[in-house]
Amino acid sequence: MNIQKKIDVGLTIQQSAIKADQAHSLKLSGLSLELGGTPILRDISFALPVHGMNILIGPSGAGKSTLLRCLNLLHQSWQGDLHIMDKDVRTWPDGADALRRAVGLIAQKPSLFPCSIAQNVVFGLGRKARKQVSDEHIEQVLRQAALWGEVKDRLHDKALTLSVGQQQRLCIARALALAPKMLLLDEPTASLDPRSKQCIEASLLELAATMPVLCVTHDIEQAKRLGGQIIFMCDGHLIESGDSVDFFARPERIESREFLRWSVCDCS
Amino acid sequence: MNERHAKTLTMMLALPALLLPAVCLLYILFKGIPALDWAMLFGSAQGASFGSVTALWPQITGSLLLMLGACVLAAPVAFGGALFYALAASHRQQKVLLGMMHLLVGIPPIVYGLCGLIVLVHLLHWGISLLTGMVILAVIILPMLLLNSVNAINRIAVGRTEAAHALGLSNGEIIRRVWLPAAWPALLTGLLLGMARALSETAPVLFTATVFSGVAWPDSVFSPVTSLQTHIFYLAQEGANAQAVDIAWASAVVLVLLVTVLSFSASALRKIRVH
Ligand SMILES: Nc1ncnc2c1ncn2[C@@H]1O[C@H](COP(=O)(O)OP(=O)(O)OP(=O)(O)O)[C@@H](O)[C@H]1O
Ligand SMILES: [Mg+2]
Repeated sequence: MNIQKKIDVGLTIQQSAIKADQAHSLKLSGLSLELGGTPILRDISFALPVHGMNILIGPSGAGKSTLLRCLNLLHQSWQGDLHIMDKDVRTWPDGADALRRAVGLIAQKPSLFPCSIAQNVVFGLGRKARKQVSDEHIEQVLRQAALWGEVKDRLHDKALTLSVGQQQRLCIARALALAPKMLLLDEPTASLDPRSKQCIEASLLELAATMPVLCVTHDIEQAKRLGGQIIFMCDGHLIESGDSVDFFARPERIESREFLRWSVCDCS
Repeated sequence: MNERHAKTLTMMLALPALLLPAVCLLYILFKGIPALDWAMLFGSAQGASFGSVTALWPQITGSLLLMLGACVLAAPVAFGGALFYALAASHRQQKVLLGMMHLLVGIPPIVYGLCGLIVLVHLLHWGISLLTGMVILAVIILPMLLLNSVNAINRIAVGRTEAAHALGLSNGEIIRRVWLPAAWPALLTGLLLGMARALSETAPVLFTATVFSGVAWPDSVFSPVTSLQTHIFYLAQEGANAQAVDIAWASAVVLVLLVTVLSFSASALRKIRVH
């Protein structure tokens, strides 16, 4: 109970920190979710700026993946209020499918479709757009996903022959092909070698210059490298959020300090 | 017990499983094939009197019509039910649906036959007819078709469906572009096995759809048909009449061949591996 009080106080501090007149691309307040009767996310509120990098960090099982899935309505049973581009997601024009095209989500585990690499890139496009898509567009999104060099000679090979790291990047390219307004990435570099990790991080930073990017990681070093806003979650609660430099230099909450030191957190 | 003994023992146990069906099949072929010729299959069905019917084509068409009708009625319901299960049903509805289907699979076909006789034939006055038989057979194969379709969809990786959702594909597109390409062999396999099942059911067909003689080609779905199953059932009771018994064997061969073709196609399809 003590912890709950602390968290509540923490949230009030953050909420007052979010200035009302500031422009936000995404504004979430009081999101709670239960799955199968167990509360998974509890009263989460934060906002993302119109562009820039945002890191969602927290120990395993904190609910990071689940939160991302709520944000693009793969989970719909949550309570709370979510506005993206100043529009309520519940009443998004043309429905949840249109919202999901505007908000690219790249899952933790890459899952490709059993067709060629090029077909995977354009899989999310409509039938007409798939036919008319230019090779330049495919090349551009594959470049953005740091994959072009490795696949440029085998675009028509089966996508499932790629290595896991390449598959992960193909998933990023597939999301980018829809020209999303915002990117949500769930541990995009978890299965990558250091070289591809570096490429992806560079690409993400480049993308973050033009759109909001929310990237989940539990790698503290990566979070430091990517910078931007840090949102720290543990056990379904948002513990602390703020600028990356401040967060790593002077974490306010005891849970954050513990996590930064040991990479674990025992708030549950 | 050493390795070799274990091997011998399991082989002995497996032997009946291999031998019994093989012996049965060979015996049916041995008895039936000599009785079978073109005239018997496609000859005139006119003037057929009890036990001396020599053309089997009315029985073959009757059986096939019943089977096809049952599939045409059951398959859309089964596929629709499976899609409801996968896309729209709550957790509780899913449990209820699966529970019901498992329950229905276990009900003996003759009970369905009885229900068909009481409700459709008598209460609704459909009479002994092709339609009644199709409906009852459809009800009988529905649970296995539905469970098979649910399994086929469940075998598709969850991550792939979710990735398609995350790309903003509508449910219709997911069905068409993700599920069908991955699940069609399994769906078709189930359908073929359902057809084989509909072709081999006898009791419900006897109760609801078929007569022994006097019908060659049904006038409408409300007229009765004859079927291979019914034919065998009645002729086998004429043990003293050698010709009748011969025709029963010939019918058995045709029925077995039809079912075997369906089962083999089903197992051939099962080998198609779709990622
Ligand atoms: N569909 C579900 N039904 C019930 N519980 C779920 C479901 N999905 C996730 N959970 C639970 O929610 C909690 C958070 O899961 P989630 O996958 O969001 O964690 P995470 O922060 O992404 O962890 P990781 O870093 O290991 O990926 C876990 O305890 C998990 O067991
Ligand atoms: Mg996760």
